[in-house]
Amino acid sequence: MANFNTHFMVAAGASAVVSGTLLSMEVVSPEQAVSAFMLGVLGGLLPDVDSARSTSIKVGFNVLSLLVTIMLIFIKSSTYSLVEMFIVAGLVFVGIRYALLDVFRKISKHRGMFHSIPVALIWGIGVAILMQYFFALNSLVSWVYGFMVTTGYFVHLILDEIYSVDLGNKRMKRSAGTAMKFGKFKTTKDKIQTAVIYASIPLLISIAPDTTLIENALFSQEAWLTFKDVILPYDGKWFIH
Amino acid sequence: MSNQFKMTLLTVTIGVFSGCVPMPKPQTNIGIGRTIGQSTPTPQIQQQVKAPEVDSEYGAKPSNYILSIRNYFSNKIPRANLSQFKYSQPKRAYKRKGFAYGGAVAWRGWLVEVLVATPTRTGRLLTPKPYMVLFSGNQVVEHILGRTHKLIVKVDK
Repeated sequence: MANFNTHFMVAAGASAVVSGTLLSMEVVSPEQAVSAFMLGVLGGLLPDVDSARSTSIKVGFNVLSLLVTIMLIFIKSSTYSLVEMFIVAGLVFVGIRYALLDVFRKISKHRGMFHSIPVALIWGIGVAILMQYFFALNSLVSWVYGFMVTTGYFVHLILDEIYSVDLGNKRMKRSAGTAMKFGKFKTTKDKIQTAVIYASIPLLISIAPDTTLIENALFSQEAWLTFKDVILPYDGKWFIH
Repeated sequence: MSNQFKMTLLTVTIGVFSGCVPMPKPQTNIGIGRTIGQSTPTPQIQQQVKAPEVDSEYGAKPSNYILSIRNYFSNKIPRANLSQFKYSQPKRAYKRKGFAYGGAVAWRGWLVEVLVATPTRTGRLLTPKPYMVLFSGNQVVEHILGRTHKLIVKVDK
């Protein structure tokens, strides 16, 4: 499988291309494109969060604990004193970064369902919901951010599958097929887990933001025409506009 | 250097540089229907002369919302001067803050739904995008892309 640096670099490259394209197509503003890029990179690191000793889990929990702490400060800044805020923020940060991480390490299994296509979709939908409900972003931007996380996630899964091919010995490694899968079906526990994951997708979609704008912006004939417009200089003049 | 040569050089230079001036971008006359467009006064504009309706909870109904929206969008969307607008009547609405910021009611006022058809850089007019423009009195507070938002409740349907 690919290491952290490889995942990071490939996710960054793919996210730069996708977010740059979205910016060029005027789907997002420059500031939103930067956020989209960062979320794409984060999505590219997320699947290894279930690996107890990986760098991804540390990065993931660092980001999560900081995010929750900052959100808490936003919510309580008008009522709490600085000392109260400092104590609560410190407790929340340590609680997530260390206590929750410890629990997560014990219950998660690497290359379990975290490395699967439905979980990649769930992350995208979850991020879209989070962006609209928590940060009040509009439906289009919420879905673009969700799309970026899922894209980064897929890039990670594809890269893991590519690395499961041993080109020198011309054989497939044992890890082949464990990264990009639709579910696990070996044991009853696996089947229940897979069923729960699939059942949660329509539930999440039912509370997710409206999809009309993202469909029109990315998955319509008009989107294709806009994409074609921005591939090459529309007036035939290179670099002089 | 002879005068004739100087004149020739000057003429060639001017010719070359004037050739570099970009051609105006193509503008297509886009017929999206009579309802979008602002070249003629609409019934809403005619209504602006009426006394403003005031709601005790939601404040004064915006009277010159069309002009306010046009001015507001002039630096918010690309090629706003070439865009075409279609407006709804103002309706009462309220918006909650995102849960990350507490979730309390952040705004209560009048909302105008606007469809904005913007041309691309090549001049091709895109499908109109829906926006919700939030007003406090005659002042635009913010705009939100989309017809709906989980944190916005339209009181008038």
